[in-house]
Amino acid sequence: MTASSTPATVPAMQAWGRVRSGRRSADRALKVLATAATVLGAVVLGSILLMLIVEGVRGLTPALFTEPTPGPGSEGGGIANAILGSLVMTAIGIVIATPVGVMAGTYLAEYGRTSKLAALIRFLNDILLSAPSILIGLFVYTLMVRPMGSYSGWAGGVALAIIATPVIVRTTEDMLRLVPGALREAGAALGAPASVVIRQVTWRAAQTGMVTGVLLALARIAGETAPLLFTALNNNSWFSPNLMGGVPNLPVMIYQFALSPYDNWRQLAWAGALLITAAILALSIVARVVLRGGKSR
Amino acid sequence: MVALTENVALATSPAATRRAPSRLGDRIFRAAALGSALLVLVVLAGILAAIAYGGWPAFQTFGPGFLTSSAWNVGREEYGALVAIIGTLVSAVLALVIGVPISLGIAIYLTQLCPGWARRPVAMTIELLAAVPSIIYGMWGLFVFAPLFARFVQVPVSNLVEGMPIVGTLLYAQVPSGVGVLTAGIILAIMIVPFVASITRDMLDQIPTVLRESAYGIGCTTWEVVRHVLVPQASVSIIGAIMLGLGRALGETMAVTFVIGNANRLSASIFDPGSTIASRIANEFNEADGMQLNALMALGCILFVITFIVLIVARLLVRRAKVA
Amino acid sequence: MSATATVAPTPGASRADETAPVRIAVKNLNFFYDNGFQGLKNINLNFHDRQVTALIGPSGCGKSTLLRTFNRIYSVYPGQRAEGEILLDGRNILDPSIDLNELRARVGMVFQKPTPFPMSIYDNVAFGIRLYERLGKADLDARVEEALRKSALWDEVKDKLRQSGMGLSGGQQQRLCIARTVAQRPEVILFDEPTSALDPISTGRIEELIEQLRSEFTIAIVTHNMQQAARISQFTAFMYLGELIEFGQTTRMFMNPAKQQTQDYITGRFG
Repeated sequence: MTASSTPATVPAMQAWGRVRSGRRSADRALKVLATAATVLGAVVLGSILLMLIVEGVRGLTPALFTEPTPGPGSEGGGIANAILGSLVMTAIGIVIATPVGVMAGTYLAEYGRTSKLAALIRFLNDILLSAPSILIGLFVYTLMVRPMGSYSGWAGGVALAIIATPVIVRTTEDMLRLVPGALREAGAALGAPASVVIRQVTWRAAQTGMVTGVLLALARIAGETAPLLFTALNNNSWFSPNLMGGVPNLPVMIYQFALSPYDNWRQLAWAGALLITAAILALSIVARVVLRGGKSR
Repeated sequence: MVALTENVALATSPAATRRAPSRLGDRIFRAAALGSALLVLVVLAGILAAIAYGGWPAFQTFGPGFLTSSAWNVGREEYGALVAIIGTLVSAVLALVIGVPISLGIAIYLTQLCPGWARRPVAMTIELLAAVPSIIYGMWGLFVFAPLFARFVQVPVSNLVEGMPIVGTLLYAQVPSGVGVLTAGIILAIMIVPFVASITRDMLDQIPTVLRESAYGIGCTTWEVVRHVLVPQASVSIIGAIMLGLGRALGETMAVTFVIGNANRLSASIFDPGSTIASRIANEFNEADGMQLNALMALGCILFVITFIVLIVARLLVRRAKVA
Repeated sequence: MSATATVAPTPGASRADETAPVRIAVKNLNFFYDNGFQGLKNINLNFHDRQVTALIGPSGCGKSTLLRTFNRIYSVYPGQRAEGEILLDGRNILDPSIDLNELRARVGMVFQKPTPFPMSIYDNVAFGIRLYERLGKADLDARVEEALRKSALWDEVKDKLRQSGMGLSGGQQQRLCIARTVAQRPEVILFDEPTSALDPISTGRIEELIEQLRSEFTIAIVTHNMQQAARISQFTAFMYLGELIEFGQTTRMFMNPAKQQTQDYITGRFG
């Protein structure tokens, strides 16, 4: 060190550079590996998106949105029936899951803070949240497809609802818990019954977060394939308005067509994959932006 | 808008005009909330009951041997779960071995190294990985990853280890097509990374800053702060997060179905095709009837038990981390 | 020992009327938290009609706990219970047959931190009215305006009644909460440290407002601030460790307290 070269300064008590090189290199290795891991994650996402664009964009023709899926060996075709089927079943799923999930989350947050039953339900809901979706498919198959004797869009919708519900329960409860207790007290102090305070005050205060929960649930079920395999199945034509029989849908269509020997089928699978991924990523981004906008207010 | 009316007189007896809101509505609302919450219980119980009911004949016919038999012969109606169970466990364990270090790296990067302005976009990128549908991972694994993997890993490694003891068996690809148990493990690893990383990040964020600052204050390097302060503090939750990732890997279906090769036999090499419980159910269920259907349901039952034990342990450890 | 307190009440500001009828009579009140802790020990106390009664004492002395028994807001939390009698106009409000919601409409409460609901200013004020009365639009408008005028907020918000109540300043939010309470035409208003989260100017306005509201309502206020108690109340109750130590006219309490503990507290020796 040069501490002694200028007489005016106090000499350093000990020389610099005492950090052992072993410590330094361990530190450097950690930083490099941590950064590399993050870059790897970004690269994978980029690579998936690139793949979808490269393979899928070619398939984005007007016919894609107007024609139903073609039979084996026939030319052209679109995926209009699968898009519509997916929309219908996702809608059924979210229409069932939203009220059930919101009410159950409300029970956990507003009525069951100290109850053992609520603690159990909270725990099992968290389990259901991560449960393998294929098992939910088997359940709905046994519950609906078998007794009704037919695959159906209703069964598909119910399976999706079972997947969406725990997501909504969880976010609803979390968001309601963020609402300050003082607001509930203020409502009660005006003589409002608990249900009025919840509906008019607490829900409203947690509104953005709860909407985010529903959007996230929507993103989650829109791409689910496994639970539809045994419930809605798929088919290559328009489905009947009563939703009985196989109902075409994007995920199962993609699964069947991507592994098929026909070029036009594979192309349709890619186009469908691009559409569904774009929709889901957009939903996820919107959900996060909504939540952030709500927080900053 | 509000009419201008000055000096409205106070009602002399407010009680006279006061009409209490109905209690019935309050009770109905509460009952509806409780009913919805109970539905969660009912559904979970229903899943177990339905699968157990469907799988019962298989358990009855094959007894405990169902768990240890590697047979899966539709023609002779002989079924055993061993191949699928091993495939499930091996691919999930591989996913953890590969995915956990990556997840921890990302969590450490996000909490310790990432400059403030980049935190949100980087975190968002990682979270979006969790939003990609599993079928897309399957396609990416089969069409993008597998060919590269075959060419740059399977072929060179197989050539290298050929004839060697042990590794020569474990890492030899009979048909270097890129698909197999290891490929499934890698794809699963990528799929669990966003979950494990984001829970771990939350856990690291929850550690009080003072603790971190005092460690830096006595001259610790980032590595030492992470190793001696942060990881021990968050270790239980991190293990919980890993278990949660394991739960996901065990039950993942579509991505695995694309890349595992769907072989019904047992192979010693992780380069060779195999199958998992979920992939076998996905492949065969729609064409199955009779005992095959029961055997598939019984497989589902086994998957239920394995994943639920793992998830229960995970949830007990994580204790309400975040929506995963 | 000099009996002169450091805090002298403003002369004339508080003409206590001991002959005013009793609105709330507290008799042998005991209160228990869910962990078994006794928060109030055998409290006996009267609140007079159209008088401001201040509850003072160090943190944890039970003054807020006492206030929260008057509208039984504590029952939002399971496990907490009160024993004894609290007579509101002669009727025991601790009786299980009392309709809690109606009780709370009769006994309004304003909290420490402003608690505007996430809705418009107008809807905030109308919230309580709508619960109990079916009014036509004109009548409702009139009631909302009346309440806002009484809360000295009308001039500031009359042009933005449809905007969110959350957008107001802290002091305005607190006056909005007062308006919301006043709008229901309660008999008693409870204030739980209503100015502790506000700046001095907003605090001054709220204090003036409480003085004005006294002409119509019986008021109980919990405060940490002894000058505030001296300024705005006619009666003061000093509490310590869950017990009522001393109660009397504010002027006398501050000038000539009977108990040594009261003396020590108001001269700032503890608390």
